Amino acid sequence: MRTLFTNRSVRPYLLLVVITLVLWALDRGQGRFFTTGTAYSVLQQFATVGPIALGLGLSMIIREFDLSVGGMLSLSGCVAVLSGADYPALGVALAVLCGLAWGLFQGGVMVWLRLGSIGVTLGGLLTLGGLAYVVTGNLSISYPRMDVAMAVNHPVLGVLSLRSLVALAAFLAAAFFMARTRVGRDVYATGSDRRAAMVAGVRTSVIVPAIFACSGMLAALAGALLSYSLAAASGVALTDALVPATASAIIGGVSLTGGKGTPIGIVGGVLVLGLLNAGLNAIGTPPAVQDVVTGGVLFIVAVADAVDLDPRLFAMRRTWVELFYRPREPSPAE
Amino acid sequence: MTDQGLAVAWREAWRLPLPTSRRGRVLVGIRVAALLVLLGIVATTPGFFTAVSLFSLLNTTSFIGCVAVGMTFITLSGNIMSFALSVTLSTSGMVFISALPLGLPAALVAAFAFGAALTGFQGAVIGYFRANPIIVSMAALALITGGATLITQGQGIYPQGDAAAALKGRVFGVPMPLAAFILTVVVAQAVLSFTRFGRQLYMVGSNWRAALAAGLDPARVVLGAYVAAGLCAALAGIMMAARYSSGDLELGLGYDYSAISAVLVGGTAISGGEGSAIRTLIGAFIIAVCQVLLLLHGFSPQIQYLAIGLIVLFVIMLQTLADSD
Repeated sequence: MRTLFTNRSVRPYLLLVVITLVLWALDRGQGRFFTTGTAYSVLQQFATVGPIALGLGLSMIIREFDLSVGGMLSLSGCVAVLSGADYPALGVALAVLCGLAWGLFQGGVMVWLRLGSIGVTLGGLLTLGGLAYVVTGNLSISYPRMDVAMAVNHPVLGVLSLRSLVALAAFLAAAFFMARTRVGRDVYATGSDRRAAMVAGVRTSVIVPAIFACSGMLAALAGALLSYSLAAASGVALTDALVPATASAIIGGVSLTGGKGTPIGIVGGVLVLGLLNAGLNAIGTPPAVQDVVTGGVLFIVAVADAVDLDPRLFAMRRTWVELFYRPREPSPAE
Repeated sequence: MTDQGLAVAWREAWRLPLPTSRRGRVLVGIRVAALLVLLGIVATTPGFFTAVSLFSLLNTTSFIGCVAVGMTFITLSGNIMSFALSVTLSTSGMVFISALPLGLPAALVAAFAFGAALTGFQGAVIGYFRANPIIVSMAALALITGGATLITQGQGIYPQGDAAAALKGRVFGVPMPLAAFILTVVVAQAVLSFTRFGRQLYMVGSNWRAALAAGLDPARVVLGAYVAAGLCAALAGIMMAARYSSGDLELGLGYDYSAISAVLVGGTAISGGEGSAIRTLIGAFIIAVCQVLLLLHGFSPQIQYLAIGLIVLFVIMLQTLADSD
C-alpha cells in the first residue's frame, strides 16, 4: 500500500480522485459536473495538451527540456492548414515531417556541439514562431474543409473523438516502448546518468535526437489536428501551450532531474489539469480561477520536487526544536 | 576601490585582452566580423540615420532593454530565464497607476516594492529550496495572470489626474524611457562590477557548490538577483504605464522572449556566471538595429521575427566555442 502512494505515476490519479470529489462537493448536487459534456471537454483538452505534454515529458525524462513545442504547435498548424485543403492526411503528414526534421536538427545540434537543450530550443521556439508568421504572411488563415473540422471533433462513444483517439494511441505506443523495450530502458538510463549510460554502451548520441524528433512530431500532430478542428491557423494563437504542457508533465510525475516518470503518469497529469479546467468551467467559475489553480498546483509540485527541500525543512525543524525545547545547560559550577 | 579591482572589473566588462584558447579567439573573431558586417549594412542603408527611425528604435529598445537587464541578473545567477518578468512588468504598471492618487513618490515606491516582492518570492523559493527556476516562473506566470485578471475583472486601469506627466518628458533632451534604460544599465553594471553582491553573483552562477564551499550564502545571492530583476521589470512597467496612460496585462506581452534574446545576443552565457549588463545593452541594440534595417529594406514584420529567432539560435550555437575549453 505504501509503495502505491509513493509511486510517482500513481500520484496524479490519486489527485484525480480528490479533485473529482472536491468538484462534486462544490457542485452541491446541481448536476452540472457529472455530465458527458464535462468528460468530452476533458478529453478534447487531453487531445490538444496530451501529445505536447508527452513530447515535453519524454525530453524531461532524458534530462533535457524542449521549449520549442509551442512554436512547433503553431507552425505545424499553419503548415497543415495551408497544405491540407485537398488531402487532409497530406497536411498532417507534412506537419509531422516538419516536426521530425526540426526535432532531429535540434537534437543533432545538442549532441554535436554539446549544448544545453534550453538554449537551443529557445532559439528553436523563436525561429519556429517566426516561420509560422512567414508561412501565413502574418495573417489568420482559415481552413476551407468544414467537413474535416467536424469529423476530427465528432464524438465517438459519447466522450471520445478522432483527435483524442489519436492522442490516446500515441500515449499507448509511448507507454509500450518505454516499459517493454530496450529502447525505453536506454532512454531512462540516458536521463538518470548520461555518462554512466554511455559507458554501459547506450548510444546516447542517437537517443537524444530521437527523443527530440518524437517531441517535435507529437507537437506537430497536436498542432495539425487542433488547427483542423478550429478550421483556422495563425502564428500567434497557439503559443500559450507551454505552461499547461509543462504543468501536466510535472504533475504526472516527470522530474526535471531526469530518469523519472512514465507516459501513463503523464496521461494522469493531463487529465488532472483538464478536469480542473473543465470542472471549474462547468460549475461556473471565471476562467481566471483556472489560471490560479493551474499555477498553484504547478507551484506546489515545483516546491515538492525541489532539490534542497529536505535539508531546509530539517534545518527549520531543528531551529524550532532548539527554540522551544532547549536542553538544560550544565551550570559552570558543576 | 583599489586599482586592481578596477582593472578586474574593466576586463570582466569587456573581456580584454583576447582569450588565450584558439576556439575563444575564433569566437571573438566571429563576433567582431558580425558587428563589422552589421555596421557596413547600417552605413550603406539610406535613411537609417533619419530622426524617425532612430527615435522608434530607441523607444522600443528602452522598455525591452530594462527587462533584459533584469533578466541578465537571473541568467548570471545560473537560473537561465524567467517567464514571469513580463507579467511583473504589467502588474507593477497597474499598481503604479492605481497608487497615483497618493502622489508620484508613493506610487513609485509602491510599484517598485510590488515588483521586487513578486520576483523576490520566486527567488526565495528557487534559492532556498533550489526549486526548478523554469517551473517556478511558469507557475508565477499563471498565478499572476490569473490573480490580476480576477482583481481587475480583466479591465485596464486608467490614471486619475496628471501626476504621471513628469515621466513623459525628457531629461536633458533624452526621452524618459531611454534615460531610464541607460541609468538601469549603468547602475546594474556598477552593482555587478563593484559590489560584493555582484562578485558573489558571478561565483554562484558559475558554480553553486564552489560558492557554498567558499562560505557564501548562494540562496541569498539568488534572492538578490531576483529582487534586482523585479526592480528592473517594475521600472519598465512604470515607464510604459506612464507613456500609454494605462495599465493592463497586455503591456509587456512577449517581453520575456525579447529580453532573453537580447541577453543571449549580447553574449551572456545561458549557463550562468559569465556576462554583463553592458553586453545586454549591446545585445538589445543589435536586435533593434537589425529590426530597423529589415524594415528599411522593405522586409515584412514576419521576416523580422524569423531573423531574430535565427540570430538567437546562431548565437547560442556560437557559445559552445567558448564553453568547451
